[in-house]
Amino acid sequence: MEAVKNTREKPQWRSELKKDEIVIEIKGLKKSFGKKEVLKDINLTLKRGENLVVLGRSGQGKSVTIQCIVGMLIPDGGSVKVFGKEVSQLSEDELKELRTRIGFLFQGAALYDSMTVRENLEFPLTRVLKIKDKRELDKRVEEVLDAVGLPEAANKMPSDLSGGMRKRIGLARTLIVKPEIMLYDEPTTGLDPITSREISELILKMQEKYKTSSIIITHDMECAEITSDRVVIMNEGEYVAEGTFDDLKQSDDEFIRSYF
Amino acid sequence: MAEEVLTGWRGWLESAGDQSVFLTRFFRNIFRGGFEWSEFVRQCYEIGYKSAMLVCLTSFIMGLVLILQLRPTMVSFGAESMLPRTLAVSVIREIGPVITAIICAGKIASSIGAELGSMKVTEQIDAMEVSGANPVQYLVVTRILATSFMLPLLAMMGDAVALIGGYIALNITDKISFLLYIHKCIGALDFTDYMPALIKTVFFGFAIGFVGCYKGFHSNRGTESVGIAANSAVVTSSLWIFFIDMLVVQITTLLYYS
Repeated sequence: MEAVKNTREKPQWRSELKKDEIVIEIKGLKKSFGKKEVLKDINLTLKRGENLVVLGRSGQGKSVTIQCIVGMLIPDGGSVKVFGKEVSQLSEDELKELRTRIGFLFQGAALYDSMTVRENLEFPLTRVLKIKDKRELDKRVEEVLDAVGLPEAANKMPSDLSGGMRKRIGLARTLIVKPEIMLYDEPTTGLDPITSREISELILKMQEKYKTSSIIITHDMECAEITSDRVVIMNEGEYVAEGTFDDLKQSDDEFIRSYF
Repeated sequence: MAEEVLTGWRGWLESAGDQSVFLTRFFRNIFRGGFEWSEFVRQCYEIGYKSAMLVCLTSFIMGLVLILQLRPTMVSFGAESMLPRTLAVSVIREIGPVITAIICAGKIASSIGAELGSMKVTEQIDAMEVSGANPVQYLVVTRILATSFMLPLLAMMGDAVALIGGYIALNITDKISFLLYIHKCIGALDFTDYMPALIKTVFFGFAIGFVGCYKGFHSNRGTESVGIAANSAVVTSSLWIFFIDMLVVQITTLLYYS
């Protein structure tokens, strides 16, 4: 099976978007835990409709960066702006409102294990979007389950699902509220190569369907190749390289080449 | 040495501060819109109904054993007829609520601590938070209110079963009609026995729910922390139960008996 490489022409919806509209802008981001300086000086922008892959070894602060974007962690310094708003200065209600526009797929999918798949999917609809109409809930659940290719899974418990299926349902739960930005935290970690490829292709498919802008944290090169429009490489709390996947692949820098 | 002591105190103060913040979040979220009624009812079922058998069994044995232990002493004083009264006062005022609360601390606080701890470790609480939902309202408010609501009911049921256990123990050696036994028990009690005992069980329930939720919510990453959260929830909530009991007894004594 040959991997679907993201060298396609930009689809119609992307050219219709406001070009160069920046949805996430990070400047001089710093974050330490105790004496360990995890993020030293991170500068990053995400444009609307773009898929940005952040590559780097484990423990380099990739996940910390996206946790700062959704306000789970408060930066020690620098600025994180999402849709032009400084995240650290938002009130609790404003942060909650912002989070409804951002989807976050956790490494382990983080499904609520005391609930069925249907209840997992309905949770953000009833609690965040306050949808109470049963028909509307059913329609949305069916639509998103079809989109991730698991229409029969609605009544299963998370413990009955395989790793790949859990990731798909996690993705479905995130996409069901139709976020504008998707943050993926190592979406293919712990999966076999075939399932990893399926998840990477699903990310691409979902981006087309839901017209999201995405940051994908990974150290899976195939995932990066399939999903990326742009790649940044992170090392010791700093970004060391940026470009398209093919550009970086042909780089003369030994450190960058070591990833490929 | 001095640094170690200082670190210990700093940790204790930080924990006290965290608990105050957590308590404030709990109270603030009770009065926010969108109370999770279905989750509250589910928790009442999980906490109340599923603990009922255990509470009944331990209360029955406690009532039975108390009579068996008291009888020889009471007989030697020629005060056998006081046995139902003695049992009723000790069970309703003190032993019933405290034993029920300790049983529930072992069963419920550990289960809440482990459940929320495991949700924390597997990032389920973070997932709720970043989706824009309110994990405190869904997980914490419902559990603390359910324990505060169910503990008095469990304690009342436990008291009744303990009195039945006492009646059976009494009938092993003596013959006493059930009506006379109940009449003697109820006759020994008044408002000052029922109400403080009932009110303190609400606080016991609150302590069990609060400590369980706090320990689970603040567990560290890693599977080991789930066990630590469960264990710590039992120990801390048991200590709180005895502390609250001591306070309530002092206040009751000041109000009614001084």
